[in-house]
Amino acid sequence: MLVFVTVGSTKFDALIQAVLSADVLQCLQAKGYTSLVVQCGNSRTDEPVPNEGKTKMRREGVDIELWKFKPSLEEEYENADLIVSHAGSGTILDVLRRDKPLIVVPNPTLLDNHQQELARALSEQSYLLRSSVDPSELSQVIRDLVPSELRKFPAMDGSRFRQILDEEMGFL
Amino acid sequence: MPNLWRITAFILLCTLARLMWLIFQSRGTKNRHVPRHRQASDTCSLAVFLGSGGHTSEALSLLSSLDFNRYTPRKYVVSEGDILSAEKAVSLETSKATSASSRPGTDYNILVIPRARRVHQSLFMTPPTALRSLLACVFHVSIAPLISSGPGSSSFADVLILNGPGTCFVLCIAVYLNRFLGRPSPRLIYVESFARVKSLSLSGKLLRPFVDRFLVQWSQINKGECRGWLV
Repeated sequence: MLVFVTVGSTKFDALIQAVLSADVLQCLQAKGYTSLVVQCGNSRTDEPVPNEGKTKMRREGVDIELWKFKPSLEEEYENADLIVSHAGSGTILDVLRRDKPLIVVPNPTLLDNHQQELARALSEQSYLLRSSVDPSELSQVIRDLVPSELRKFPAMDGSRFRQILDEEMGFL
Repeated sequence: MPNLWRITAFILLCTLARLMWLIFQSRGTKNRHVPRHRQASDTCSLAVFLGSGGHTSEALSLLSSLDFNRYTPRKYVVSEGDILSAEKAVSLETSKATSASSRPGTDYNILVIPRARRVHQSLFMTPPTALRSLLACVFHVSIAPLISSGPGSSSFADVLILNGPGTCFVLCIAVYLNRFLGRPSPRLIYVESFARVKSLSLSGKLLRPFVDRFLVQWSQINKGECRGWLV
């Protein structure tokens, strides 16, 4: 099974370090996740990652590909069996609407903590799992993950905004 | 000289009173204006500001739920250099045109405005660029509709949808200039991001007193109107 990790459009060193830690890799391997694709953005990595293309390696029985930026994230979401991401709302919506299991890791270095709030609110409703950047916590969350126990995220309900606008403009 | 002061003070007072009245009119849901009734077959012109990144995604997602045969023509306002937002707007239009019966590609356009403030720009340099941005907005919202001719072009739009970031405030100021002068102006609808669970964003706080409808997507915020998730 394949895990896709994304940090969004900026960088998130701590998340990259956590997913590449021996703890987390062993955990993934034990659960049957033997392929890992990481979109690192501008995060610092131990192995150099080219601007174009990927760096390949194998650690703890997991085949790993490191990319700076992948041209299409949609394709990665589609192929993955599990996604680990920063808590950006765009990524969260994209992944949950595809009914893929998602673990979000809010970036503690961001000044505004609204990403934390979104991650907490959605994990309280069991739409996703949440972890800190601590490798042992992330390992535990992966160990406890049962994809079928996550709640199905509702499809977008376009009628709500349509109705508000029709109301406001005098159509209703 | 004292007369000049008195006249200036009087004008300022009148300006302030008019502004307060306009803001008062736009606020709240109880005393809000009763919308002009439109027939089901009527059309309504629409403008939307695409603030790049997550703002653009959410704004286009809101638009995707609308009937483009009813909300026509459409104007997409993007910041200078934000090619990605313009591309996303075109791709929404293309997908709508193939899925519905609307005439493809003819009933929308994309307006570009200079950025009010660039990322990493020093605070000191903000006033000149913000002014340039404001002038561009005033041109599109107030002046262009006056000089262009043709059906439906006498006003900028019937409704303007905003969802941040702060730059969209200059558009709001341009709309208020029209209101101040008694010219036709769009209804202003602000939609706070899905990402804001407990607190408003800076642009939300800034625009809340001025817009006609202020929507939030999480009921925990307790400010504005909530009808659940909209995107």
